[in-house]
Amino acid sequence: MKVQRLIKSILLISGSVLIIIAIGFLSNSTHAAPGFQDSPTSTPPEAGGTSQATPFPTQDVTIIIPNLSLSDEYCLDCHGKPGQVYTLENGDQLDLYVPAELHKNSVHGSTGIACVQCHTLVGAYPHPKWQAKDLRDSSLQLNEVCKRCHAHQYLLALDSVHEAALEKGNQAAAVCVDCHTSHEVRRVTKPGTTETLPEAKRWIPERCRLCHSEIYNKYEGSVHGSTLSEGNEDVPTCVDCHGVHNIEDPTTASFRLKSPEICAKCHTDPALMEKYGLSTDVLNSYVADFHGATVAIFEKQSPDAEVNKAVCYDCHGIHDIGKTDDPHVGLQMQENLQATCKRCHPDASANFSQAWLSHYSPSPDRYALVYYVKLFYSILIPVTLGGMGLLVVMDSGRMYLNRRKHRRQLASVTQNEEIPATPDLPEAAEASNTDSKEIES
Amino acid sequence: MTVQKDSLTSKPETVYVERYFPRFTLGQRWEHGILILSVFILLITGLPQKYPDTLWGQWIISSPERLNQIQQIHHVFALLLFALAVYHFGRIFVQIIRKQLPGGMLPEWQDVRDAWQMIKFLLFLTRNKPNFGKYNFEQKFTYWMIFFGVGIMILSGLILWFPIQVTKIFPGGVIPAAFLAHSNEAIALAVFIVIWHFFHVHLQRLNLSIFTGRINEDDLRKYHENEFERLRALNSQDSNTGGGNP
Repeated sequence: MKVQRLIKSILLISGSVLIIIAIGFLSNSTHAAPGFQDSPTSTPPEAGGTSQATPFPTQDVTIIIPNLSLSDEYCLDCHGKPGQVYTLENGDQLDLYVPAELHKNSVHGSTGIACVQCHTLVGAYPHPKWQAKDLRDSSLQLNEVCKRCHAHQYLLALDSVHEAALEKGNQAAAVCVDCHTSHEVRRVTKPGTTETLPEAKRWIPERCRLCHSEIYNKYEGSVHGSTLSEGNEDVPTCVDCHGVHNIEDPTTASFRLKSPEICAKCHTDPALMEKYGLSTDVLNSYVADFHGATVAIFEKQSPDAEVNKAVCYDCHGIHDIGKTDDPHVGLQMQENLQATCKRCHPDASANFSQAWLSHYSPSPDRYALVYYVKLFYSILIPVTLGGMGLLVVMDSGRMYLNRRKHRRQLASVTQNEEIPATPDLPEAAEASNTDSKEIES
Repeated sequence: MTVQKDSLTSKPETVYVERYFPRFTLGQRWEHGILILSVFILLITGLPQKYPDTLWGQWIISSPERLNQIQQIHHVFALLLFALAVYHFGRIFVQIIRKQLPGGMLPEWQDVRDAWQMIKFLLFLTRNKPNFGKYNFEQKFTYWMIFFGVGIMILSGLILWFPIQVTKIFPGGVIPAAFLAHSNEAIALAVFIVIWHFFHVHLQRLNLSIFTGRINEDDLRKYHENEFERLRALNSQDSNTGGGNP
């Protein structure tokens, strides 16, 4: 007995000690785990003096410790002078000239990021031999350094349509430096926020234009693009609709289904829309109608389904979105609206296009018929159904009260006539009576 | 005029004779059956289209193919309901021409008085329930509510089914108007059937005469006293004159 007790207590103690150790270990490890940096820009790993591993956990982690003793002046001593070229394997000439001002005015230069923090492998002169097949290969190789500090953005870009094109073998697909440039790198967001700077807003379409010039031309003439060139930054630029780093393929069925939400981001914002006298009811009125209702279902239920119902851009245009009172494309113009309907409904008459309420709520002045039908039902349904419901409740109430009264009467009758001696039995008598017959008034 | 039936009871000495009166023709019973079927299918294929935000709505409409199927089923049963309405009108038309329209379903001032009396009874202002004819005001209200409701549903449904053709003649506004009417009237009808009709024929008392086509003497006396008296007068008149059923 005593031995058993001893063993038991030893087991208990050792068990609890183990649990305490485990808890301690777990809490330690959660504290020790570095949080994933979601800030717009993470600090360079070497800025704190110690060189930790990069925050980008890949399998081929090579901890590169930049030689911070090499100052920018040391580099610019040679590279600040124009006319230096390096011949790559295929004969391409890599220009090694970096104007001192270019780096100094960049977001990197102005925040004290040194040349060697990106050009980590170069080291002091003489440099190791630079291996690149051609100019593009050179850019793609150097592009990898961005992830040392901007791991979050780099990861997002891996999900982009550009990365997908690159993986398919399109070497021209945009990487970090194609949009952000190599040395000019401008500040895009307000420090510490994700809010785009006004000057960056105007710069962004110019960067996209380098490859997507045709789309840029459409955008430039659109209500958004032309307003931007007038100096108004309230309008969306490319990235506001397409996303920033994880730019999605806009030709997929799923993009199409969720596209109304992109437009709704701004067009349901009361503060923003009020400024321009625009309705915030556009999404609701769209979802309430045939096209939008269907799109809204499939957006939730089968986001990859091909749906031929119109989304915002089918009627308003994709990049060449015009004002609704624009004489050429504006949908307030009857002939423009009808032409738009006819793209999907070839037999549509002028009347047919009037079936669309143009995002308006019906009123006595506009779509009076629809307004009065709505009004009729908004009165009929509550009045009729409410009245009926009330009658039904009253009816059941009276029925119940009458039945109970009748039952009581019967119970008292049976009590008096049959079993006057036993006062405990009326309940049983009542039960037998309810079984025997249902009596109403 | 009366159908007699000896019901089997356990005790042979107490023979209970239950008399039944015909209430609905076979044609009317079939009409009601087809109405139930088509309205039920139309509601379960139509309501998810009205409430696509709900879980059950999305469960029914899960993909474009499913929506297509649902719409096709909706159209098939809409045609069935349409055919039923045409038959119903056709029969009324023939009856009017032959001057044989029973007329028991036509609204009268008496119905308003009955309804008022009923409300007074329900508010405990009187002890007497009104006496009803073959159809009471509540049954007439049900008939006419469904009569106009189905009419609106068919009309607006056809407009929504053929918008291009309809707008060749009518202004475009009829389509959103039909859309609102179709979706609101469906709700009005569905809730009406559930609250009003189901209460009266299932909860208040189980009234299966639309399926059996007949009503027993007790129920006829209790719920349609005026009709009972009319039939009794007619019967005694017939037996006095020696004539049979007309």
